[in-house]
Amino acid sequence: MTFLAQVELIKPPEIEYSAIAPVLIVLGAACVSVLFEAFLPKHQRWAAQVVLTMLTFIGAGTALGLYAGAETTTAQGITTLSGAVAVDRPVIFLWVTLLLLGFGSILLIADRSVEPGGAFVADAAVRPGTVQDRAQATRTGMQTEVFPLTLFALAGMMVFVAANDLLTMFIALEVLSLPLYLMCGLARRRRLLSQEAAVKYFLLGAFASAFFLYGLALLYGYAGSVKLADIATATAGSDKSDTLLFAGFGLLVVGLLFKASVGPFHAWTPDVYQGAPTPITAFMAACTKVAAFGGILRVLTVAFERTNWEWRGVLWGVAVASMVIGAVLGLTQTDVKRMVAYSSVAHAGFLLIGSISLTEQGLSGTLFYLLAYGFTTIAVFGVISLVRNADGEATHLSQWAGLAKRSPVLAGVFTFLLLALAGIPLTSGFVGKFVVFAAAIQDGLAPLVVVALVASAVAAFFYLRVIVLMYFSEPAPDGPTVTVPGAFTTIAITVGAAVTLVLGVWPSFALDWAGAGGFIF
Amino acid sequence: MLQPYLPLVFMFLLAGAFALFSVTAAPYIGPRRYNRAKLDAYECGIEPSPAPIVGGGRMPVAYYLTAMLFILFDIEMVFLYPFAVSADKLGLFGLVEIALFVATVGFAYAYVWRRGGLDWN
Amino acid sequence: MTTAELLADDPIWLILIKVVGIFAFLVVMTLFMINWERKVVARMQQRPGPNRVGPNGWLQSLADGLKLAFKEDIRPVLADKWVFFLAPVISCIPAFVAFSVIPIGGEVSIFGERTALQLVDLPVGVLVVLACSSVGVYGIVLSGWASGSPYPLLGALRSAAQVISYEIAMGLSIVGVVMFSHSMSTSDIVKAQGNLWFVVLLFPSFAIYVISMVGETNRAPFDLPEAESELVGGFHTEYSSLKFALFFLAEYVNMVTVSALASTLFLGGYQTPFGLGSLWSGFDNGWFGLVWFVAKTLFFLFVFIWLRGTLPRMRYDQFMRLGWKVLVPISLVWIVAVALVRALNNSGEFSQQQFLIILGVVLGVLVLLSLLLPDRKVEEDPNAVPITGGGFPVPPLDLEVPKAPTRRTPVVANLPKEPVAVTASKEASDGDV
Repeated sequence: MTFLAQVELIKPPEIEYSAIAPVLIVLGAACVSVLFEAFLPKHQRWAAQVVLTMLTFIGAGTALGLYAGAETTTAQGITTLSGAVAVDRPVIFLWVTLLLLGFGSILLIADRSVEPGGAFVADAAVRPGTVQDRAQATRTGMQTEVFPLTLFALAGMMVFVAANDLLTMFIALEVLSLPLYLMCGLARRRRLLSQEAAVKYFLLGAFASAFFLYGLALLYGYAGSVKLADIATATAGSDKSDTLLFAGFGLLVVGLLFKASVGPFHAWTPDVYQGAPTPITAFMAACTKVAAFGGILRVLTVAFERTNWEWRGVLWGVAVASMVIGAVLGLTQTDVKRMVAYSSVAHAGFLLIGSISLTEQGLSGTLFYLLAYGFTTIAVFGVISLVRNADGEATHLSQWAGLAKRSPVLAGVFTFLLLALAGIPLTSGFVGKFVVFAAAIQDGLAPLVVVALVASAVAAFFYLRVIVLMYFSEPAPDGPTVTVPGAFTTIAITVGAAVTLVLGVWPSFALDWAGAGGFIF
Repeated sequence: MLQPYLPLVFMFLLAGAFALFSVTAAPYIGPRRYNRAKLDAYECGIEPSPAPIVGGGRMPVAYYLTAMLFILFDIEMVFLYPFAVSADKLGLFGLVEIALFVATVGFAYAYVWRRGGLDWN
Repeated sequence: MTTAELLADDPIWLILIKVVGIFAFLVVMTLFMINWERKVVARMQQRPGPNRVGPNGWLQSLADGLKLAFKEDIRPVLADKWVFFLAPVISCIPAFVAFSVIPIGGEVSIFGERTALQLVDLPVGVLVVLACSSVGVYGIVLSGWASGSPYPLLGALRSAAQVISYEIAMGLSIVGVVMFSHSMSTSDIVKAQGNLWFVVLLFPSFAIYVISMVGETNRAPFDLPEAESELVGGFHTEYSSLKFALFFLAEYVNMVTVSALASTLFLGGYQTPFGLGSLWSGFDNGWFGLVWFVAKTLFFLFVFIWLRGTLPRMRYDQFMRLGWKVLVPISLVWIVAVALVRALNNSGEFSQQQFLIILGVVLGVLVLLSLLLPDRKVEEDPNAVPITGGGFPVPPLDLEVPKAPTRRTPVVANLPKEPVAVTASKEASDGDV
């Protein structure tokens, strides 16, 4: 056994622990959270999980603040883990966004006062409508597996936006998707819809992952590497067949666009938004969108900037399709959650305009838009979860008629949020659209901006329709009541609305911060 | 590059030929005496149940759980093998990494254990 | 010169000879094993066993095999035609292929050609065996499913769950070996045991491997898939004639393979045992290696028979508990411990072999102690909803014989005394007071 000592050691990769500390903290907390589920008695779990999750966000935020505030040699960003992960200015912005939005979603998820026992069921696999199913609907003990699942999903999102090679990106994609598939099926009310949502999201998501993976394989065949930077290098000195490149690019982008629910890859969005428990819908709508667009921005900017003349036309068309689908189909919806889902498809189109601009303004504009849109969306779903009748949430639009007469505060907040989604001045939605469109015009995408403006106008119509319905209709006699929210939901809605206002009135600090630097690879 | 695998192919072909010959020849060598009861599903002499798939097509869910756990641990094994081959070259770093890795799987394992996922009744 | 290089320039005719040789070896081993098993079990049960066909009954299994070929081949009406047809093939092929990577002897010369007594030596040799055993499960599951009959389906499900459960433990137990041999190639593993067999160095791994190899091959006391008291014959209930013979063959070939792998991994494969090589150098000859190898394999096969003759069949929940709650955690802890010891050893402090042996003993004692601990009562979930509809109707465990309704005694005036008294005493004896 003496020869062993002579074996030369494989050099481990350099790891910049301070840079990836936020991700490590979230992942570690998710593991601890699983252990809590395993070993704590049932009645202590909720409190322990809430405390742990809060500590996680504080810890991750502090670590991120320390790293970003240090302003050392790594001010513009570094790559670590042998180049698999990049921590640069956009990534730090996205991480902060994800942590903030994740915190907001966790507040909604943790709330037990709106729906006694929380919005989640214990046994998602029980057949809907059976005795067991009805029995578990009346239980008030909160099912707390949703906390570790959320943390895992959040960690996946954080890795996803920082991934500097496609393989890391794929793994992060799975880490963020798998918990979401599961959480979609956990709604306490309307079990069948919820299960349908979960299955639909899972099947389509699996397809999208397969597309992504297939594209990854083709790009590897083209560039001989899965690193974004190497793909970029390969596209520069190009004597290779472009077929592999563009087939790979196409498949890869389909996978990404699916996650971002950009039309025409949006088919899952309305059903899943409607079927999933509302706090989860908020989490998905806000955080998944941030993660997906973070990934799209990095892939397009780092790996495919040189070839943008070839693919830009296609994504141009996709953006138009998304905006038109979102705006037109949104008009026909009679369910609030489905309406917001189509609105998110339209917003995905706007975000895609910013993403294909490939300029510094485009990057910072898209980042800002994501931040603004995320907060507004969380507040919107927070409000939706409050309007209830005996069957749970009353999401049909006719039930919202005359809501302003019953609950003027709630109607006021919701009106403000809808105006933000529509992009009316003094809201963050306006600023977001403005910076994205300005960047697009600068980069010569003026026709696209015209389409986008028309789409915004059409979309504004269905937001206004809800406002009109709330203020100028007579309330139905058997209409829903507005639940008085507990502390958690109140905070989430208040903060969401406040940020929407602040970013609309005084956006410059966030814009400066979003434009602090580009991608490092 | 795949030349070392050639003998495996020969073995595959020989075993396959033998097995295929056996299953193909069996009906021709043996007698054939038709009898309706013989061709029914064998249920110890009682009338065969009309729907032969157990429990109306639904398997006990524990089997699915076992299958998923198997995949989880199989993937763990897949990662442990390369580590084992180069354990000495990886030194202390490899040790820490593999301990962390095993611990991570251990968390999931503890959860499944505590929640009764490993119990069969 | 490594074994792989030695084998690389084998001419085709030599490869074909080896292929046919191994095939014949496995078939002969199967025939021998069936007979041997019957004889040994018979001896354990104080009866003669097969003694009619051939010298001392040793041709009994051959006669049985021939007889099977002339039996009617039945395919049930509900069976899926092609899958039913192919399932025996699927379970038979990997059983043979798996054996290809086992080194059965040392370096020899066949018709003037230097070679090793091994068909192939792959850098992933051990994985080939594991992969083949996994593919073999398909044969079992598909046969059960394709039969269109409840018993085979249940047997197949059980069998699949069982094989994959124990495959985990088996795979994990091999990790320790690979850590010492720095290679997954079977011949390298044998050569790495030149000084000390891994059975000494890695005793917990060895124990886990042996237990899981019995579980993996569905043999007693783990033969639940074919528990004849519950499931008739398990997955091959509907099979007859040569198709049934193929399943039988595959099962025994698998036994030989896992035994051969056990001797390769832990008992030094074809290497001369107990330092006999120092007595006469001829023992180290490549052909003599074949003898040692077969002897070691037969030892494990004897253990199979021994277990079958000794132990009653386990209950399914006990079986799964052993696999998932005992073998898997011990394997994991053991792997980390071995990795730790190696890392410390490489930093050059103390003798690794002593340390490992001590560690193995300590771990073994701990395991024995833990088996003595009573099982913790699982707290009853107050919110649990009783599942019905999916499960099976089960009578309550605290079933009491219900009280018989009070019978009206027939008032018949002119009935003779005797029978009435008999009835009364009968009722009293039934406990109906």
